[in-house]
Amino acid sequence: MECLKEVIVSPVSATYWGIPGYVIFWVLFAVAFGLFAQRFYLLYRLMRLGKQENRFDRISERIKAMLVEVVPQWCTLKTVTRKDLAGLAHALLFWSFSLFFISYIIFIGLAGGFGLSPLIERTPFETVYFSILDIAALLVTLILIVAAIRRYVIRPPRLEPTAEAGIILVMVFSLMALHVIGVGFDHASRGVHTSWPPLGAALAGFLNQTGLSQTTLEATSRGVWWLHYLVILSFMVYIPHSKHLHILASLVNAFFKPLGQKVVLEPIPLEALEAPEGEATFGASKILDFTWKDLLDLYACAECGRCHIHCPAQLTGKTLSPREVIHHLKEHLLETGPKLLAPQAEPSSESQVDMPAKTMIGDVVTEEEIWACTTCGACQEVCPVNIEHIRKIIDLRRNLVLSQSKMPESAQVMLRNMQQRGHPWAGVQSMRLRGDWTSGLELKILAEGDNAHTLFWVGCTGALVERNVNATLSMTRVLKAAGVEFGVLGESETCCGDPARRAGYEFQFQMMAEQNIEIFKGFNIKEILTACPHCYNTIKHEYPKYGGDFKVVHYTELIADLIRQGKLKLPNELNSRLTYHDPCYLGRYNSVYHEPRRILQAIPNAKLEEMERSRDTGFCCGGGGGLMWIEEQPGTTKISQMRIEDVLKTGVETVVTACPYCLQMFEDAIEHKGVKESLKARDLVEIVDEAMKSS
Amino acid sequence: MANHKGVLVCGEIADGKLAPITIELLGVGRKLADELTEELCILLMGGKTGGLDKEAIAYGADQVYVAEDSLLDGYNSDAYTQVTANLCQEVLPSIMLLGHTDVGCDLAPRLNARLGGGLAMDCMGLSIDPATKVLVSTRPIFGGNAYATVLSKLARPQMATLRQKTVPPAERNDARQGQVIPVENKIDPSGLKVKVIDRIKEEVEGVKLEDAEVVVAGGRGIGSAQNFEMIRELARVLGGSVGATRPPCDEGWTPVMVQIGQSGKVVSPKLYIAVALSGAMSHIVGCLGSKVIVAINKDPEANIFSVAHLGIVADFKEVLPALTSKFKELLPTQK
Amino acid sequence: MHTIVCIKQVLDPEIPPAKFKIDPEGKKVIPPPGVPPVISVFDERAVEAACRLKDKHKGKITVISMGPGKVADVIKHAIAMGADDGFVLQDPAFENLDSFGTAYVLGKAIQKIGGYDLVLCGRYSADWNNGQVGSILAEILGISVVTSACDIEAVDKKLRVKRILKDGYEVLEAPMPSLITVSGEIGLPRLPAGMRLMIASKKQIPVWKAQDIGAEPSALDKANAHLEVTGLSVPARKTECEFVTGNTPGEAADNLALKLVKLM
Repeated sequence: MECLKEVIVSPVSATYWGIPGYVIFWVLFAVAFGLFAQRFYLLYRLMRLGKQENRFDRISERIKAMLVEVVPQWCTLKTVTRKDLAGLAHALLFWSFSLFFISYIIFIGLAGGFGLSPLIERTPFETVYFSILDIAALLVTLILIVAAIRRYVIRPPRLEPTAEAGIILVMVFSLMALHVIGVGFDHASRGVHTSWPPLGAALAGFLNQTGLSQTTLEATSRGVWWLHYLVILSFMVYIPHSKHLHILASLVNAFFKPLGQKVVLEPIPLEALEAPEGEATFGASKILDFTWKDLLDLYACAECGRCHIHCPAQLTGKTLSPREVIHHLKEHLLETGPKLLAPQAEPSSESQVDMPAKTMIGDVVTEEEIWACTTCGACQEVCPVNIEHIRKIIDLRRNLVLSQSKMPESAQVMLRNMQQRGHPWAGVQSMRLRGDWTSGLELKILAEGDNAHTLFWVGCTGALVERNVNATLSMTRVLKAAGVEFGVLGESETCCGDPARRAGYEFQFQMMAEQNIEIFKGFNIKEILTACPHCYNTIKHEYPKYGGDFKVVHYTELIADLIRQGKLKLPNELNSRLTYHDPCYLGRYNSVYHEPRRILQAIPNAKLEEMERSRDTGFCCGGGGGLMWIEEQPGTTKISQMRIEDVLKTGVETVVTACPYCLQMFEDAIEHKGVKESLKARDLVEIVDEAMKSS
Repeated sequence: MANHKGVLVCGEIADGKLAPITIELLGVGRKLADELTEELCILLMGGKTGGLDKEAIAYGADQVYVAEDSLLDGYNSDAYTQVTANLCQEVLPSIMLLGHTDVGCDLAPRLNARLGGGLAMDCMGLSIDPATKVLVSTRPIFGGNAYATVLSKLARPQMATLRQKTVPPAERNDARQGQVIPVENKIDPSGLKVKVIDRIKEEVEGVKLEDAEVVVAGGRGIGSAQNFEMIRELARVLGGSVGATRPPCDEGWTPVMVQIGQSGKVVSPKLYIAVALSGAMSHIVGCLGSKVIVAINKDPEANIFSVAHLGIVADFKEVLPALTSKFKELLPTQK
Repeated sequence: MHTIVCIKQVLDPEIPPAKFKIDPEGKKVIPPPGVPPVISVFDERAVEAACRLKDKHKGKITVISMGPGKVADVIKHAIAMGADDGFVLQDPAFENLDSFGTAYVLGKAIQKIGGYDLVLCGRYSADWNNGQVGSILAEILGISVVTSACDIEAVDKKLRVKRILKDGYEVLEAPMPSLITVSGEIGLPRLPAGMRLMIASKKQIPVWKAQDIGAEPSALDKANAHLEVTGLSVPARKTECEFVTGNTPGEAADNLALKLVKLM
């Protein structure tokens, strides 16, 4: 090919107004990189002001988790639904952009900046790579157009039509266009006649026909090259100033994500306990009361709004939006951060710095928002960048409850009951006593000196609330029928502490946890069988931090196992259409999705229909996070009622769940809707009990 | 002990008349005195007691002690305690009766502390044991969950405060004769340590709770001040009064003046609508006299249903709006 | 300012009424199993009142409680709320005392503690509802008494107290020291915040016996009780409640309205 003989002169090797191109190239780069690095360093230092937290364990596991999530784009692909293909688009953008990023290093950095163009340009490698980039550019442009239409014309609720998003769209589009235009001018100005890469070559062909002079073509080609370079540099500078910071931060965040357990609540650190009374702050009242990982979360947010459209509080018209919480916290950090850094403050002495005029609780995140969260975990489940929203909410609650004594009246009533009566159900509100359910049953009620391998931990609701006691009784019948040996605590059982912890009353939780662990150890208990997913989650994941390592089993897991082993037979036909509602603390928190369904499938003629929102996208009943007792924001739809709408859409006769809160919430919502005749709420164990009876 | 004789009622004056509780006390005091075949006395204290001595006699008193002093104009705990204690030490009554009122609740224990008698508070029944001639008092305890009968074997005087409206008022007989005895002892000003600075009346809108024919009362389940509006709206439509259990008053959803129950008011309307209240006995004792009790509560096992005549098991938020609008429709003449 | 608060541990008044059991022979209430006793309602308000004064004027709060069993729990509760110190008064001789006996023991303990500006009690206890101990205690201590307070302020070495009345309140001025009994209208007690809960749970509460406070056996002689319980009963009550129903709560409400209009 004749073109190979041509002397390759990259625009960088030319001289401009007497200044060598190389100088301009590297000066521009230095300025841009300097700006980028300066911003980046600021963000890093801000993050380091956050409280300590160890996320450097299990390094190899973390690297693996990060790569598995990011490279194949599982982070966004997992969110793809028939209605929302944005995750797929993101993956395509990610891969395309990765190709472009590498091309910038090779074709602009190495070829231009280091003068290696003779080695790279006009090689088949370049042709092939550019051809791929051509296709990628076309694809990206198409995606950008769709994205722009979506964001600015269709306006789905999860996306905000911000200027920032617009700037990014224009920049990315410019990069695509400039790449193609650059190739076109380059080929045209040097008289290269090939048909690859297709777009560039086509443009070159078109330019050749326009009759522009060689000088014009060459000058324009150089101009386009430099403009392209400038846009790339601007993009680099802009990244850490925009939500596209997530490109970098989400990668790091994937590395530091919680392993195993999905919602990790840290105990209140010891130093807070040792501070003199009155000086200690609990939870988070200022932005730097969060840990560095919490602050990293803020950087990682891409404002994709998936959390916003999955949040039950948001969907029922409450003021809480996880996206807004994160976004506002990020803004607040960036606004107040430079002031916090100004006096070269040591991370530990941030309290001496003048407090910003805005208070975090109140101005940045309102109390109403803080108390609207059911901790259902939907936000974290769909978040592509591993943001941990819930523990931030809990930290804010901790501050309100422990440091400021500020909480909704209903929350205070519940917490007072937890503190004085050992359960969240207000005195007369519950017409039963803790041990009432055991009367007339032959049970091994553990008393001093007893030992038991397996403890059936009933939970407050299952012991105290009439409707739920029914499920508890079914449970004991099923266990007996399957020959499971177990003990119960009867009247001496107290709360596991979950509602106190979720409501921010951390010390109460801690005392209950310690007390319960002591009781378990006293009876030599090895295995704890729970009826309530909230107890399950708390004892299983949160007690170990207080020295309580027990095997914890939810009854759905046990029953599924008993059926598999043939120890439990379910001969009775059910002949009913039903749907299963995944309790958040069983499903999302603990990934127990299959066992309950396997149990239902084992019952003859039980016709299971799935709701649209099920399994990991299951919709909360409204009762988690202490919200069973805390009043929902007035004037908004009740979350439970929205969930019953989901159930009604399936046209089933029974909604089955495996959580006492859900059952309570559904009974309420069914009553409200006036559909008592056509729809029943049942606990799964009640269904099993019926299917088992030999009548 | 043998020196102690007679029944002494500590009278209360309200708006220049004998307070209703005082007439009730004269009624029950008369009976007790007759059973003991002893005399019934009453002590009237005030700035001026003009003419009420006659009235007290008409209601059954044999002797009326009248203590008039500007320091006794309006209740002053220290002054009233001093006068009453002095009189008791002089007269040595066997039985001393007070109303379970703002005055009685304060005065009776203080008086007893000085006299060293045996005092039963908040009694709902008083009688004389036929054998021992001792005063037997019946009083609710544990917030009305139980009743105790108590007596004082040795300590005198035997004292009791009587809950309002638990006994019928004494019948008036203007032909009755009795003796009026002025109390001469001057009040020792050095004994008045607590000064009364001010007395503030708090008006509650609408019909007076104690006199209302319809009372709509809300409990803890109402949940918020905003929701409490629903209670007010229903009360307005029915031309009744608003009541509450303790939690709504504690939370400030409604003024404390409308609290019904052991530590609040006692009501006996024709219709009592109890909304979202579980029915703790300490509340129920305040509304048991109602003719019809209606309960609205989402818990079918709530204790309120054990005293209610009619009930709806549902969330009040769903029931009240419908109930209110239905009443509006059915009672077009109501304002 | 040093406030001493007298508190009592009682059977949880919020137990379902149907679970309330008595022993008529022994004239005792039988606490239902598994229900932890709690601080008496108005006594908790008294602790709250003391805490509010401490919030404003600094100073110290000492709590005392007489009773059998785990009375230390209510002391700990008060410490969690904001009290500094607490003492349990426990002795077989202290059991089943009437109001005079109770006031005598509390008085002895208060005299031992000494140096107080204010003594607070609840208006009446949530169990026996006597409402006398405060007044007798004041007489024993020889200080002024104000009952049923709904607000307490300390102004110029004097106490400005609002006393709740059925139709309003009166404002009183009492010297220091005085004894004040606190009513529910003072407002909700605080939820123990911060780490007070932890501090309280770890605190050792000293126990004082009769001889520690110099209580004379003769003064505690129950044969001389001023008041004696001779009978105990649970009121029989069971109305047949007619439940009004409908397809929806709204419909049930309509049906109820129709029924009631006929009665009115």
